[in-house]
Amino acid sequence: MTSDRIRNIPLLELARIIGRTFVGIAEIIGGMTLLQFRVLRAMLTLDIDYDETLRQFYKVGVKSLAVVVFTAILSGAIMVLQGEHYVRSTGATSLVGWAAGTGVLAEIGPLLIGLMFSGRVGANNTAELGSMVVTEQISALRALAIDPVKYLVVPRFLTMIVMLVLLTGLGDLFALMGGALTSHLLLQIDFRLFWQSVLDSHLLSEFYMGLCKGFAFGGAIAITSCYFGLNTKGGARGVGRAVNDSVVTSAIAIFAVNILVVVLWY
Amino acid sequence: MLSVLANSSTLLVHTVRSILKSPPNKAMIIPYMFNIGNRSLLFLTVTLGFLGIISVYQGCMQTMKVLPDLSMAGAVFIAVMIREFGPTITALMLVTRVGSGIAAEIGTMVVTEQIEALKVTNTDPIDYLVAPRLIAFVIMMVACTAYGSLVAIACGTVLALVRFDLPPATFLSLQLTDMSDFYQGLIKTLAYGVAIPIISAESGFRAFGGSEGVGTATTRAVVNSLFAVIFLDFLVGALYRIF
Repeated sequence: MTSDRIRNIPLLELARIIGRTFVGIAEIIGGMTLLQFRVLRAMLTLDIDYDETLRQFYKVGVKSLAVVVFTAILSGAIMVLQGEHYVRSTGATSLVGWAAGTGVLAEIGPLLIGLMFSGRVGANNTAELGSMVVTEQISALRALAIDPVKYLVVPRFLTMIVMLVLLTGLGDLFALMGGALTSHLLLQIDFRLFWQSVLDSHLLSEFYMGLCKGFAFGGAIAITSCYFGLNTKGGARGVGRAVNDSVVTSAIAIFAVNILVVVLWY
Repeated sequence: MLSVLANSSTLLVHTVRSILKSPPNKAMIIPYMFNIGNRSLLFLTVTLGFLGIISVYQGCMQTMKVLPDLSMAGAVFIAVMIREFGPTITALMLVTRVGSGIAAEIGTMVVTEQIEALKVTNTDPIDYLVAPRLIAFVIMMVACTAYGSLVAIACGTVLALVRFDLPPATFLSLQLTDMSDFYQGLIKTLAYGVAIPIISAESGFRAFGGSEGVGTATTRAVVNSLFAVIFLDFLVGALYRIF
């Protein structure tokens, strides 16, 4: 048949692959946008399930605190280690605070905390929602006339945004502490010198930008993880694959949103 | 967290012993290499491209506040990318894509009792599952890091030209990069390449409880691998600094 002959042309195969990729990407982006609109519409009516939201606050925020704090301390230490090379060669030890501070507060802090949050909370969320889909609990909710978006997604959306902003702020503090400790132990820079140079650098706008990034990352992670969770297909293997796709797409979303926030800020 | 460290170290020792005793043949490793490397190319291009753009944009914005000229910006950017962000961010991306994949695959096999079936046929699961993935991941990690660093530097160069009018001849200067930076990046890459598949496989083997267990195992793999990458980043940097 002609279709068999056409299938063997490599160029057409390439076109087919490109087309399939783009259609797949469009489906994901479209699905997430639709979910976002449904969430916003459900929030507009101010009919929010407070018990579920409180439960989510605990799960999303309190349980990721330890991981985020450790990540933040390490990221502060890393930035100081990277900057010390230039500080040592130019002798500008008073600039350590500026170099580490601006890198951590504006960029690395929100990025690493966001990625860690996406791994811890996003993957967990997708796994939970995916298991609910596979064990037909979502269909049961619909049978009871409960809107899954209002009951499941809206609380997670709100709590993830709020918690990521708070965690980013707290993480920034711990990151600066980690930087101070590293510069004291490895560079013999006094604590007071470090903190003074941080304060002298007037990093408030960077701190706010970091919080805005946290806000945007939280929204992105929430929508992505809920979308992939609710669209799981195929049993145990499907849940694993959904978590995989969700974490990958969250990472891409985090980087894309990062650019958006940076460009809009300046 | 400590139990993960203990179990992963045990798994690492077993895997290394099994590789030295009976190395897996090429036919087993190459499909994994394809899955890890070739399949992630688009993903790595997008993420590391964005990273290059953001780093150069923010770095130059910050520097312009303190110093008037951006002539050293390129040299600093390339040095930091090769030494630090290239390996680390590539590793973080590969954790999300491949680490969760390994944990999901092995977790599903545990939950559907395929591991018991392997043991019944006298095949060591570590030999069959973990060793080829470890070798494939280490090789591909180096390749992906090289590719990712190049993409980030290329996108940074384009942004510097378009937004800050820095010609590539000025920007692409290897003035502040020397071999020790390169070796530091390489050591980090190898460390990540060993740590990530071992931790992901260990989380996969500990899965229990049906589809929810697979999800939990995948989450654990991603969180522990992400944390291990960041910790190894700090460790290698600190050790390099001390010696």
